[in-house]
Amino acid sequence: MSAIKSVFSDSKSAFIPYISLGDPNYDLCVDWADALIRGGADILELGIPFSDPVADGPVIQKAFKRALANPFSMDTILETTEKIHSLHPHIPLVYLTYFNPIFHYGFEKFAEKAKIAGIQGMIIPDLPYDTPETDELFKSLKRRGVDLIHLVTPATPLNRMKGIRDFASGFIYYVTSYGVTGERKSISADLEDRIKITKEVISLPVSAGFGISDADQAKEISQYADGIIIGSAVQRIIEENGSNPSLCRKKLEEYAQSISGSLRGKN
Amino acid sequence: MAKERSFTEKEGYFGDFGGRYSPEILTEALIELEDTYNKLRKDKKFQKDLEFYRKNYIGRPSPLTYAEKLTKAWGGAKIWLKREDLNHTGAHKINNTIGQALIAKAMGKRRIIAETGAGQHGVATATVGALFEFETAIFMGEEDLRRQKLNAIRMQMLGAKVIGVSSGTATLKDATSEAMRDWALNVSNTHYIVGSVIGPHPFPTIVRDFQKVVGEESKKQFKKENDKLPDAVVACVGGGSNAMGMFYGFLNDKKVKLYGVEAGGRGPSPGEHSATMLFGKTGFLHGTKTLVIQDEGGQVVPAHSVSAGLDYPGVGPEHAHLHSSGRVTYETVSDQGALDAFMEVCRVEGIIPALETAHAFRFAKDLAKELGKKKDILICLSGRGDKDVAEVARLVGFSQGDLI
Repeated sequence: MSAIKSVFSDSKSAFIPYISLGDPNYDLCVDWADALIRGGADILELGIPFSDPVADGPVIQKAFKRALANPFSMDTILETTEKIHSLHPHIPLVYLTYFNPIFHYGFEKFAEKAKIAGIQGMIIPDLPYDTPETDELFKSLKRRGVDLIHLVTPATPLNRMKGIRDFASGFIYYVTSYGVTGERKSISADLEDRIKITKEVISLPVSAGFGISDADQAKEISQYADGIIIGSAVQRIIEENGSNPSLCRKKLEEYAQSISGSLRGKN
Repeated sequence: MAKERSFTEKEGYFGDFGGRYSPEILTEALIELEDTYNKLRKDKKFQKDLEFYRKNYIGRPSPLTYAEKLTKAWGGAKIWLKREDLNHTGAHKINNTIGQALIAKAMGKRRIIAETGAGQHGVATATVGALFEFETAIFMGEEDLRRQKLNAIRMQMLGAKVIGVSSGTATLKDATSEAMRDWALNVSNTHYIVGSVIGPHPFPTIVRDFQKVVGEESKKQFKKENDKLPDAVVACVGGGSNAMGMFYGFLNDKKVKLYGVEAGGRGPSPGEHSATMLFGKTGFLHGTKTLVIQDEGGQVVPAHSVSAGLDYPGVGPEHAHLHSSGRVTYETVSDQGALDAFMEVCRVEGIIPALETAHAFRFAKDLAKELGKKKDILICLSGRGDKDVAEVARLVGFSQGDLI
C-alpha cells in the first residue's frame, strides 16, 4: 500500500489542505506547511506555480503571480519540499501543478528528485489520462512508488472513469463543481451519489475538492468522502496575512484545526 | 498495467504536436464537439447552410487582386492579394465563427464565448451571436481593450458582453485562459468559439477546416487567372488561422513555397517579440502541445507585438508540425518593419491593411526582390486595418500635416 493510500480509512476522512509554493516566498512556505500539519493536515498538497493556470480561480491565480515574482526554479521547489518533508516525514506530500514545468524539467529527472524530496503523489490538472505523456510519466512515477492522482469531475462519464482507473493510484481528486478552483456557498445535490459511483468504478479512496471552504461544508461532505481538499480558502488566509508571518501561521493552524476537527471520525 | 497506445492525426496530433491537454471538466464537451463535428462535416444540409452563409453573408468568394502598384514599387515578383479584408466584418475570422456558430446551434447551445486579441475574432463572434441569437461574451485583455477600442465598441453594439481581463499580461494569452475558465463553469450550455488553430483537439482541426476555404479559393482563382500556381505564398502567423487556411490549399503543391511571418517585435530578448518558431520550445499551453515561448523553468514568457492579433506566445500545433517538417518556412518582421509596410501599402495600393498583415507585406517586399520579375507571390490580406489606425497614428506620430 502506498503511503498516501494508508492515510485513508473507513472510519475517518482525511484533511488535505493546499498551499502555493513560493507565496510570498519559499522560506515562509515552510512555515505555512508546518502550521497546517500541526493543525491536523493528513496529506499536504503543494502547488508548483505556473504562469497560465487555466483550472484555477482568482485566489490561486494571484498566489501563483506572487510566487512567480520570486525567481522560479524547479530546484528551489524541490529544496523547499525537502525542508517541509524533513520537518514532518510521516505526512505525505503531493504536488499539484500544470504539466509544462514538469515536461520542461524532464520526466525522469523530475520523478527521481521529487521522490527524494519526499513527494508521494502528483496531481496534474491539464494532463488527462489519454495522452502519450501520461503513459510515460505514469511508468516513471510508478517505478518510484509515487502516485499519479487523477481528477474526476461532474462531467466525467463512466467510460472515462474506467480509462482513468488504469492510470490512477493513491486517491481520486473528485471535483465537486463545474468551473475552476475557488470557494463556493452551495454544494451540488448529487455529490454523494457521484462520489459513490467513482469509488465503485475506480476502487480508490475519493477526496473531494473545489469550492469547499468552511467547517460545516467539510463536515457534511466528509460523511461520504474519504478526504476533503481545501485550496483557495487556505490560500486566502495567506493572501490576507502573509505579510505578518506569525499571525498568518497562527491563523493557518487554527483554520486547520477547525476543519480537521469537523471531519468524520476526528471529533 | 496500462496498454501501449498510439496517437494519430484523427485524435488531433500533427506529428508530435497537438492533442488534448485540457482540464478533465472540459473533456466531455470536447468529445461532444468532436463527435458533432465529425457528423456535421459529412452532412449535406450543414454544408449547404455553410455555403449559403459564405456566399450571402460573408460575401465569398473574396477577390484575388493583382497589386499592380505594389509590384511596381517593389520592383520584383508580381504581388497578388487574397482579399479577406473584404469579408463581412473585415477579416478572415468570420469564416470560422459562422462555421462554429452552426455547430453550436446543432449542439443546442444557447451561449457562445470567445477570446480576442485584436478584436477581429471578437467582432466576428459577436456578429454570429447577433445573427443566430446567442447570448455572447467576449474575453479581451485590458491592454488590448486600450489598443483596440473600436472593435470593443463594435462588439458591444452587436450585443456581446465584453469582459476585460486584467490578470497576467492582460493580453490574448490571458483572455484565452479566462475564456477556458468560463467554459469550465458553463460548459453545459456554452460553446467556446476558439478563434485560431490553437487549443485542445478538435479546435485546431475545426478552425483549419473552416479557414481552408481561403487557400482553396485562392488556388482556383490564381490558376484561372494565370494558368499556373503562385511561386510563393505569404501569410502572417500569430496563432496562425489565416496562414493555416491559406497554406492548406497548397500543402501538396511542393513547388509552391510557403512562408509564415511572425512578429519580431522590438527585438530578440524574451518578452519583446512573439516569434514562437524562432524562440519557442515544445511545451503545453491552452490545451495543446506545441511550440511555446517559455523560460528555463517552463513558465510561459509574455509575448509582445505592435499588433495585438499576433501577440501570443504559442502557435497552432499544425504550424509547429509544418515548421519541424520543413514544409513551411517561418520568418519574422519587426514592429518597425510592420509599421513601415502598413504606411506603404496604404499609400501605394490604397488599402489599409491590418497590422498583422503588414508583417506579411514587409517580408514579401524583400522576397519580391529576391525572386525577381518572373515570379508570383500571393499574400493573404487577412484583414483590414481600420481597428489599427489610432494605434498606428500614435506610434508613427501621424499629424494633421501628414494628411495633405
